[in-house]
Amino acid sequence: MPSPAGTPEADPVRAPAGGPAREPLIEARDLTRVYRRPRTSLTRPGEAVHALKGVSLTVHRGERFGIVGESGSGKSTLLRLLCALDRPTSGSVTFAGREVAGLPERSLRFLRRSLQIVFQDPMSSLDPRMRVRDLVAEPLVALGEPVGGRVAELLDAVGLPASAADRYPHQFSGGQRQRIAIARALAPRPEVLVADEPVSALDVSVRGQILNLLADLADELGLTLVFVSHDLAVVRHLCESVAVVHDGLIVETGPVDDVWEAPGHPYTRALLAAVPTLEGLL
Amino acid sequence: MLTVEGLSVRAEDLELVREVSFGIGPGERVGLIGESGSGKSLTALALMGLLPDGVTASGTARLGDRDLVGVPERRLKDLRGRTVSMVFQEPMTALNPLMRVGAQVAEVMTLHGVAKGRARERAAELLGRVRLPDPERIARSYPHQLSGGQRQRVMLAIALANEPDLLICDEPTTALDVTVQKQMLELIAEVAPALLFITHDLAVVASLCERVLVMYGGRVVESGPLREVFKHPRHRYTEGLLAASRLPPRGTRLATIPGAVPAAGRFPGGCVFRDRCAHATETCETAPDLTGPEEPTGPEEPTGPAELTGPEPRGDGHAFACWHPRG
Repeated sequence: MPSPAGTPEADPVRAPAGGPAREPLIEARDLTRVYRRPRTSLTRPGEAVHALKGVSLTVHRGERFGIVGESGSGKSTLLRLLCALDRPTSGSVTFAGREVAGLPERSLRFLRRSLQIVFQDPMSSLDPRMRVRDLVAEPLVALGEPVGGRVAELLDAVGLPASAADRYPHQFSGGQRQRIAIARALAPRPEVLVADEPVSALDVSVRGQILNLLADLADELGLTLVFVSHDLAVVRHLCESVAVVHDGLIVETGPVDDVWEAPGHPYTRALLAAVPTLEGLL
Repeated sequence: MLTVEGLSVRAEDLELVREVSFGIGPGERVGLIGESGSGKSLTALALMGLLPDGVTASGTARLGDRDLVGVPERRLKDLRGRTVSMVFQEPMTALNPLMRVGAQVAEVMTLHGVAKGRARERAAELLGRVRLPDPERIARSYPHQLSGGQRQRVMLAIALANEPDLLICDEPTTALDVTVQKQMLELIAEVAPALLFITHDLAVVASLCERVLVMYGGRVVESGPLREVFKHPRHRYTEGLLAASRLPPRGTRLATIPGAVPAAGRFPGGCVFRDRCAHATETCETAPDLTGPEEPTGPEEPTGPAELTGPEPRGDGHAFACWHPRG
């Protein structure tokens, strides 16, 4: 399947086995994003960098969707556009049928409530001078919602003791900080959780804890998961569908098991061959 | 060739690395694995004589007939970069941003007495040897003009410049993309005279090394031939690390090690892993020695943990420090 475009009717592969076809939740159409390098000459504009060259994808409600690519592939640009943290040069992004690309921040409140993000490095995404209680409650405060007992509930959901609320981020290990970031993202009860390399900075023994937690939460809360990673093996473990991004384009997309077993694009094959594995060598 | 015996690293009253012993033979590639905070990097820095102020090393480390530990800085300056050299994780901080790459490669040679003109020629040669395209042009570039993978190749060229006997690599590929990492690992395997490779990634070690040392809490808890250790791990920590490294397909729960690596000085007494170990008993309050697979002997063993590799560093001994080993 060369293109991820298409309605769920036209794309029966995406329907979960035995269930009805799920409705599209996030749809991107022909997204392009051109950045300008800083000017190096007085007479000519800076060089244009085509970070995305026409990307279309559909994430269905309840789906776990992985985006895989190396640095410079455009996967972070794509993620920023899907979350309306940046504006595309052309193309559209819709969330539950509503256009989000290019909207001013004040018109994006519905998206900020429905879609939350967990970043790679919890040390730089959590304000070091805020207590965990305030960090986790902040999205609710920003949306003008009552906090109530939600903080304790959230800390419990991510496996942290209630006493964690009174402490600061630096008093926690990397894995625990990522749990705090997840609790904070879940505060406004989002439909979609976007995770940008959430386990790349973690030790292997802790990586499993966070991946298990994300899988459990997605099941319990019926979350739609958009999971960005450079590691196809991690995506295979967590996601149902995957899009492989290379050089500003989606080169391959489909059910993750199909892509893993029989990669169709030469780049995907190269990527898979480069991943060191324990199984292959022992 | 390299023989380390009873290497300990202390900061004031904290023992950060305790009684580490191992050997590396000529041409041998040894992996040092463990999570962050297990003491891997400190072990390497102790061998390089690069420990930060206030942190001291004791024990012995001999490379050929030269001592690496407890030697005055004046002597170390001569050894470092010539007899033993190191590639660090982050090439952007290790390279001088204001100096052309060729000059940085040449500098390590002029510091060790090579004439300037000769060093410049050799620099271009070395940049070609680490398979940088168009080495003459790269030599004239500044670090910011190169990609991450190219910078790491420059670091490798610098490390190889004086043809050291031992190369130490500390997570040299962690910041690189997988396709670039693969090329870098193949290159390291090809050019390293003898290698101590530090990483937290078990799969990377498996693709590169012949022997492996597993560290936790500042101690070597298991060591031996790579295949043997990875196929039949004995220590419960190694078992947990291996299980956590496997990523099964969807729907299967991932194996994890409960808790997290404690901060330095917060490891339990006795077996350092016992507070995270499902098999821990009262026996584990006594520190187990690093012993071979025959019979785990008690702490009354007079020779202590230093007997891991004994006088013959290439011995195939699979050793572990665990009271309740797997299998």
